Amino acid sequence: MAGVDDTISQVIKHIARIVVVVLMASACAGEEVDTSGVADLEPVTVEVFASKLESLGRPAIVNVWASWCIPCRSEAPLLTAAHLAYGGEIEFIGVNVRDSQVHAKGFIAEFGVEFDSYFDSGRSIPNHYAGIGTPITFFFAPGGELLSTHNGVIDDHALALGIDELLRLES
Amino acid sequence: MEFTLLWAALTGVVFAWGGTRLWPEGLPDHATDRMVGAAAAGLFIGRLVAMTLQGTNPLIHPGDILVIRGGVHTAAATVGALGTYLWTVKGQVRFLDATTAAAVLGLAGWHAGCVWRNMCLGAASDLPWTWSLPFSTITRHPVEIYAALGLIAAAFIVARLPVRVFLRAGAGLALASFVLLLTEPLRLTIQGGLEAWYIAGVVTGIVVMALGGRAGRSVPIQTT
Repeated sequence: MAGVDDTISQVIKHIARIVVVVLMASACAGEEVDTSGVADLEPVTVEVFASKLESLGRPAIVNVWASWCIPCRSEAPLLTAAHLAYGGEIEFIGVNVRDSQVHAKGFIAEFGVEFDSYFDSGRSIPNHYAGIGTPITFFFAPGGELLSTHNGVIDDHALALGIDELLRLES
Repeated sequence: MEFTLLWAALTGVVFAWGGTRLWPEGLPDHATDRMVGAAAAGLFIGRLVAMTLQGTNPLIHPGDILVIRGGVHTAAATVGALGTYLWTVKGQVRFLDATTAAAVLGLAGWHAGCVWRNMCLGAASDLPWTWSLPFSTITRHPVEIYAALGLIAAAFIVARLPVRVFLRAGAGLALASFVLLLTEPLRLTIQGGLEAWYIAGVVTGIVVMALGGRAGRSVPIQTT
């Protein structure tokens, strides 16, 4: 038992050292992102957004994100890859919530997000579609009918499954 | 906020605990705790590697490390978990062999935990046992259930093997990788499948088994 305790104690000490080193390094590190090529995000209302979805002749994936949202950072590379692969068949739309233009543009520049994002500081769009928290990914059929909602960070398999559903719906 | 991943992880822990009760011979003290700790360390390492490969610096964004669902590098996580487990048992490989069957059963539980996440489904199919998402009429293979059943079978096979240095550990790695390799084509993915890593796992497992066989000595099972 004493051996187990010693081991656990050593593990905790090692983890504590690693955490301290990571925090110190992160405090010292800095990262500059050039946002000069990123346009201001267009503010949008629920009515305008809904009519845009209705007018689309193809399915849409709407991702609700914010620059302060850590899970959004994690899923951004996946959404960028999905847009590259399926952007010709599915409309990808971002909705930035509770954020500032400066920080939102920094996020877009950092992750190389190429699909358009709207500015919705009041969260009216995710609230209208009953999404919870941030991030959220909505899957819409052509014509703007909401098919499913994924609250929280989305992973590769979940997004691929949603995309496959949309593509089969279209065909 | 959603906690479905935690339920899936808890299912894995329950299965691993069940494995230690089914096959208790030669296990170290607190075997389930060590396995859970090793799995957590493996996830941490796999997450760090995945972030780095995706271009996110974990030193600048340490908070991102916690978002396991954002991606975990399978091979790095496996190596990290195995290394951590060996470290906790002070490098005694007999504990690795004694734990393998329970660990494979725990992995089966993790895959079976897809039911909590509503994430069991993969490629579309019209076979009679397939089912569909709640909002859809498109039926699909329950690929994670296939994986869970295959891993349960693998755990029972491993448990029947003699306890010889690296034999069970190698067989467990090879069989688990083989099961996941077989089911991988049925999983839908955007960033590419993991076939290459699973093939590497099968080959590594077989090599490890062969090395254990060449050593040719049996390890007495001890209960500590």
